Amino acid sequence: MLESSEKQEARGLKPLSSATDSGMAKAMPSHSDRAMSSEADRAMPSRAHAMDRGGEGEDEASLFSVRRWIAQITLWRVIVALIFVAGAYATYARFALGFAASTNLTDPQPWGLWVGLGTLCGVGLSAGGFAIAAAVYLLGFERYRPLLRTAVTVSFLGYLSVMVGMMYELGLPWRIWHPIVMWNRHSVLFEVSWCVMLYSTVLALEFSPALVEKIPWKRAREWYLKWHHEILIGLVLVGTVLSSLHQSFLGGLYLLTEGKLDPLWYSPYLPSLFYLSAIPAGLAATMIAIYLSVRSLDVKVDLGILSEVSQVIAPMLIIYALFRGVDLFTHGGSKYLLTWREETISFWVEIALFVFAPVILLSREKIRNNPLYLYWTCCLVVMGFMANRLNVSITGLQASSRIYYVPKWTEFALTLATITAAVLAFRYAVMYLEILPKSPQRPRWMVKSAAADA
Amino acid sequence: MERSKAMLVDITKCIGCRACEQACKEIHGFPKESETHLSTTAYTVVEDHGDRYVRRLCMNCQDPACASACLVGALKKTSLGPVTYDKSKCMGCRYCLVACPFNVPRYQWSKLAPYVTKCDMCYERQAKGQPPACVEACPAEASIIGWRDEILEEAQRRVLNDNKYVKQIYGSHEAGGTSVFFISDVAFEKLGFIAAPKHALPTLTANALGDVPTVVMVGGAMLSGLYWITQRRALVAMADAQKKKERS
Repeated sequence: MLESSEKQEARGLKPLSSATDSGMAKAMPSHSDRAMSSEADRAMPSRAHAMDRGGEGEDEASLFSVRRWIAQITLWRVIVALIFVAGAYATYARFALGFAASTNLTDPQPWGLWVGLGTLCGVGLSAGGFAIAAAVYLLGFERYRPLLRTAVTVSFLGYLSVMVGMMYELGLPWRIWHPIVMWNRHSVLFEVSWCVMLYSTVLALEFSPALVEKIPWKRAREWYLKWHHEILIGLVLVGTVLSSLHQSFLGGLYLLTEGKLDPLWYSPYLPSLFYLSAIPAGLAATMIAIYLSVRSLDVKVDLGILSEVSQVIAPMLIIYALFRGVDLFTHGGSKYLLTWREETISFWVEIALFVFAPVILLSREKIRNNPLYLYWTCCLVVMGFMANRLNVSITGLQASSRIYYVPKWTEFALTLATITAAVLAFRYAVMYLEILPKSPQRPRWMVKSAAADA
Repeated sequence: MERSKAMLVDITKCIGCRACEQACKEIHGFPKESETHLSTTAYTVVEDHGDRYVRRLCMNCQDPACASACLVGALKKTSLGPVTYDKSKCMGCRYCLVACPFNVPRYQWSKLAPYVTKCDMCYERQAKGQPPACVEACPAEASIIGWRDEILEEAQRRVLNDNKYVKQIYGSHEAGGTSVFFISDVAFEKLGFIAAPKHALPTLTANALGDVPTVVMVGGAMLSGLYWITQRRALVAMADAQKKKERS
């Protein structure tokens, strides 16, 4: 998956001067050096570039295409390419050299960044899909319908990334199918793996109409969509139950770490806490995706919907905070709240990012009604959520493991490459599929799609 | 469960000869060099704590957290006592390392097809009626093996009849009881023993997993109910709109 995105990016599948590109890619002049172009060069409009072409003469077709190719190299594309190169090296290191060469994992810290950020956050931030689907289809909140496809796409890509991550994370990835035939129903991880497998299937089915719509054969298309419509409610129902189970069981994984995990995070109610925190975080991730689509892609959404969702996020965060507070005071974590330890500092950073800052910000009408402010508030929620999962999986276990784990650069590189691939995939999905309503004026290459015919 | 075996390590008797280490390495075909910590090539080590020698090895818990954690059931508590590892099932998730309250399992981090390693009290030898290699090698009878109930009685007798012993059998309650017991004349905390929870850890997850059917049934029913209400509301609203239209 990584490789193909990289190739697409390098070839510049995206047309050069499409309106959709305004936010992300500023056309660079062809005569400047790729990486070292000055600010002034970058600001030069593409019209100047076109004039440049005219001056060179039309018959130099090959030179012209090279120049066009170079012109597509922008700062962001260079960064993306570098991330993928680093990710490719990390892949090589992981599979050709092993864990010891690609990670800083050790026996006392057997789960690191790939589990903490990749799996725990990847699944958690994908909770928006089931939450919005349940809200629209089961609870009848029709006003959230415009968010539905975005939420499902974000979740689907999230789960795909988690599965790609799994292949790196498992010591013997070619045995990833083992849980299908080898059962241990006493294992929380067994439940998680089954729920994730089943829910990914559900998500794929929920996402599928966006792809099927593009099938040029009308009858096949309609047959599938009709069939899909009939099972949709069932899918949403099953998806909601499966999600609720494994979102909480990811927390349940750490029930066994009693005595190892710091009391600020260990609780018999870890499953509930994971569930309660995943929903607002998943919604925040969906909002970020929508805001960025509107800002940088040719998408038209009434951003008022974001304000409505934010009014749901705030009470969810408060409920989570109350639950967490009561839990800390009833299970003995409270005496560590004000001690000068690294764990306590991490705890307060997490709470400040995930609860205090967003709740205070969202209580202000000025913030709620401004998409940009909302976007940044959602970023805080997501960061706070990631802090929580990393605290549970890394910080909270550090003292008992008696080692100080800092991920190796290849661990960061791979995580970053996976996230980048997911973001790129989302970008292309929004551009080529009907995920979000597009502005009426469509770029040339879109017109021939099946949906446009239909 | 039929009668199971257990091991007793009497720290007062250990002379630090490391014969157990060597026997273990020999039977597993590991390099002979003595190691300071448990590793993938040292399932047991003898640690120096001042003038006391402390053996480390897998405690082979009665209700092992690792076995309950393993999603494919590669780790199993045998009726004979040892907790065994089936490497053909393992997929390398390393949840057992996270779960173990004694931090025993080791992972082959530098191999391309890495497995988990830990002591299984020489299960294959014990199944044939032989003692574990380390016990057989111990010249001072610091490590002995026997039926678990008898071994526990023996440990109790030593601790109660001799005042030098700390009045605790490490392993009798730790993690809900283990198949390896330690008795000592020096406080266990000072010898690097972990203050493990005094109950079986798998019960913690069993409770959570026990909720699954409830969540599925109640959650499913509730969601279906909510959907029914939503549908009904939509129908009523539609019918109302129809009536209004007809009237006007």
